[in-house]
Amino acid sequence: MSGVVLMGQRGADPTGTPPNQRVRVSASSGGDALGTGHARLTVVATFFAIAFAIVAGRIIDLSAFNDDRGTGTSASVATGQSVRGDIVDRNGVVLASSLAVASLYAEPRRIADPALATEALMAVLPTLDHGQVFEKLSTGKSFVWLQRHLTPSQQMAVNALGVPGLGFRTEQRRVYPHGALAAHVVGYAGIDNHGLGGIEQYFDADLLGGGGQVSALELSIDVRTQYALQEELALALEEFQAIGAAGLVLDARTGEIIAMVSLPNFDPNQIGTSLADGRFNRASLGVYELGSTLKILTIAMALEFGTATLESEFDATEPLRVGRFTIRDDHPESRWLSVPEIFIHSSNIGAARMAMEVGADRQQEFLNRMGLMSRAGVQLPEVGTPIVPKPWRDTSTMTVAFGHGIAVSPLQFAGAVAATINGGWAVPPTLIKSQGPVDRQRVLSGETSEAIRRLLRLNVLEGTGTLAAAPGFLVGGKTGTAEKARGGGYQSDALVSSFVGAFPMNDPRYVVLALLDEPQGNDSTKGFATAGWTAAPVVSRVISRIGPLLGVEPVDTISRTAQQALFISLDGRTAGAAF
Amino acid sequence: MVETGLRLAKPELTLGKKIVGISWPLVFLILITAGLGLAVLYSVADGAVDTWVRAQSIRIGIGLVLMFAIALVDIRLFLRLAYVGYFGALILLIAVEVAGSIGMGAQRWLEIGGLRIQPSELMKVALVLALARYFHERSMEEVHKLRWLFIPVAMIAAPALLVIRQPDLGTALLLIFGGGVMFILAGVRLRVFAVVAVAVVGAIPFLWRSLRGYQRDRILTFLDPERDPLGAGYHIIQSKIALGAGGVFGRGFREGTQSQLNFLPESQTDFIFTTLAEEFGLVGGLGLLGLYTLMLALSVIIALRSRNHFGRLLALGLGATFFFYVFINIGMVTGLLPVVGVPLPLVSFGGTAMVTLLAGFGLMLSVHIHREVLIPRRLGGTFS
Repeated sequence: MSGVVLMGQRGADPTGTPPNQRVRVSASSGGDALGTGHARLTVVATFFAIAFAIVAGRIIDLSAFNDDRGTGTSASVATGQSVRGDIVDRNGVVLASSLAVASLYAEPRRIADPALATEALMAVLPTLDHGQVFEKLSTGKSFVWLQRHLTPSQQMAVNALGVPGLGFRTEQRRVYPHGALAAHVVGYAGIDNHGLGGIEQYFDADLLGGGGQVSALELSIDVRTQYALQEELALALEEFQAIGAAGLVLDARTGEIIAMVSLPNFDPNQIGTSLADGRFNRASLGVYELGSTLKILTIAMALEFGTATLESEFDATEPLRVGRFTIRDDHPESRWLSVPEIFIHSSNIGAARMAMEVGADRQQEFLNRMGLMSRAGVQLPEVGTPIVPKPWRDTSTMTVAFGHGIAVSPLQFAGAVAATINGGWAVPPTLIKSQGPVDRQRVLSGETSEAIRRLLRLNVLEGTGTLAAAPGFLVGGKTGTAEKARGGGYQSDALVSSFVGAFPMNDPRYVVLALLDEPQGNDSTKGFATAGWTAAPVVSRVISRIGPLLGVEPVDTISRTAQQALFISLDGRTAGAAF
Repeated sequence: MVETGLRLAKPELTLGKKIVGISWPLVFLILITAGLGLAVLYSVADGAVDTWVRAQSIRIGIGLVLMFAIALVDIRLFLRLAYVGYFGALILLIAVEVAGSIGMGAQRWLEIGGLRIQPSELMKVALVLALARYFHERSMEEVHKLRWLFIPVAMIAAPALLVIRQPDLGTALLLIFGGGVMFILAGVRLRVFAVVAVAVVGAIPFLWRSLRGYQRDRILTFLDPERDPLGAGYHIIQSKIALGAGGVFGRGFREGTQSQLNFLPESQTDFIFTTLAEEFGLVGGLGLLGLYTLMLALSVIIALRSRNHFGRLLALGLGATFFFYVFINIGMVTGLLPVVGVPLPLVSFGGTAMVTLLAGFGLMLSVHIHREVLIPRRLGGTFS
């Protein structure tokens, strides 16, 4: 404001007072208050004029050039009439559809006797609140909603009342035949027919523009797989008294998400009564320190950059001291370990040493290439941003090697694991059914990918993942148990236990991930809440159920050929060539 | 015609001359604007007179009588009573603090004999009067010295702080801005304002911390209304929709959906401009702004023509307060400024505001009628 005033003072003196006026004023003992007053008055008046001009400009801008009109937030009233397109799963099963339903309104101005009309309405719609209805009808307004989304029989009953001043508007009601199943994927639409979460929100414009049932949005989801995953996770959630769970089944070749579950969940048909925790998508929006499962990527990285081979050995004789940190192994072998041993004993020391040889810069570049340094590009509004160390010190390099100090969403992690086992191709996770071959980008060599397959299988045969084995399927995978961070430290009693697996390991088709948020051990797990005891069995059961559904042929997993094809010795020698 | 500075030599104005001397164009503008306000209230009430229109008409009537009565009083009487009025209003403000009734989370009203009054409204006029007297009595040299500025700063600060405590940020800002304009008009050196401006900018972090949660929310929401579309951003978004929906010529009288269907709460008070703009469109909005501009222009002309310093300061001080009312209110509903509770003058539903506003216009008319009166720096003689 002072700027305006100063400019005005120089330029806007109507009396043409010479510049030395101020000096003259100060010199005269009486003070020429009127003279200064005139000049100042003009300044203030000019300021008023400018301010009003700005306001006028703003009014014109909003009234005449309002681009918002008809879109975005202002469209809620108008679009109540348009029909949202259906959402179906990969086999055409309807996940979301629209029904034309009648909504009851009143024009209180035209209601002659509100008391009588209220009585009549209450007789056919007993769920209405008597007092509220009477109040609405007595207002003398021109329009009030009485009840949205009537059933046809309710509509007929109200019509039969013959009360003038009542009317119906046809509205679209969104229905979700599968309820809570896949709720986090499909999302939900509000009463005004706009998507407010999930696919419904992400593709809101497309679903509204599609204009009905002609072309439904085909998701990559398979409801049968979704159901199996959800049921198994729900059982584990209850068995281990966890506060939440997440699970994913990913097509390792295309990145298609076959199933995505987050528990607790919600019923999109009754979004009004759902809880925020239920609407939270742990699989894509939640980010977690996943712990040892990250070692898959650490080993792939070291093999890829050539700083280690499968036969390399690393010193894990004693805990690794870095500054004020000490890196320990949970089950110390206290000796030099080969790469396969580091993997199946889940040696933090070994993984940290492997990462140090690669170096911080190459590690960050690698993790970025695998899609862990930025948000996943999936078609959901609910996508979490990973938390990565800033700055990235040497300690970061070491802790990230075994999955601490970096928090990623289960979804993006499953995507990264897919790339390590599918021959080395990046497959960004997608919720849309693939329409044929996609352009794939190589991020790893075929050799590295083959080595990871063998290591994952070995871990299920002899390592921490034995409970993930499923009869008839060549399952491979890795456990990850991380203590949840709170304040400045970690809590030993609050774990995130996860297992990332894949099958069949001789030619991986699907990545299966299960994560339990704060599971508690019980008698059947000898009190352990770690991933090998809680998350691995979930993956085993899920694979047993979905393998046949997805057309993966069972094999004799203990046959000589199967064993040989995925053979790797503890000192890193391989045999056979199934690929 | 111009007499010497001696008040005794000046011919007294007769009542008839005074009535002829009233700025009738200003009266005319006030009546049109108030009438427009009544029409919008009628529409907001969905065609009911009882809801707001009757009460508002009565207040306008009382206000107009008061306005004419004040207009005819010799301006020197107001000069004499300025400080008394100021302290009276200040005491009432303190009384609100002690015994006021609370409405909408703010403690602003005082009940005296069944009358509910808002002392902060009275203070808007009383402060301008008191500052006008103070600066009238100062020489240019005194005004240029900082030590003479402490008293008027305190005169603004005391009521402003009391009002902020109520809490009523809008009125406090009106007091501060209105008073600040008086400083400019009085001839306080501009570098002082520069220093104050720098100090205010420097104090922003501290001010931010002292704001109440909802006040911070409003500012954040102002910067990004979509931040919380169903909460703090609701008003602004709905009001922008209404303005956009009105278009150039509006939806027509009583046809605005935003206000008729109750998307807009408070549509009879602070957000009434939105209803007007929705129903009468750009033409209506700019028309009202035009009326305000003309009124403001008249107040500037009245100030320019006043031959006494007190009258000039008073007229423009009142004009400035009026200006800030309009600017803050319309700026707020159009999303130019954060939401602060400031009514739209002569249009918004509200009793004390309407009456004080018309009383203020009465003072302005009095300045106009008595424009030729010369007032010495210090009143004495027959009047003391």
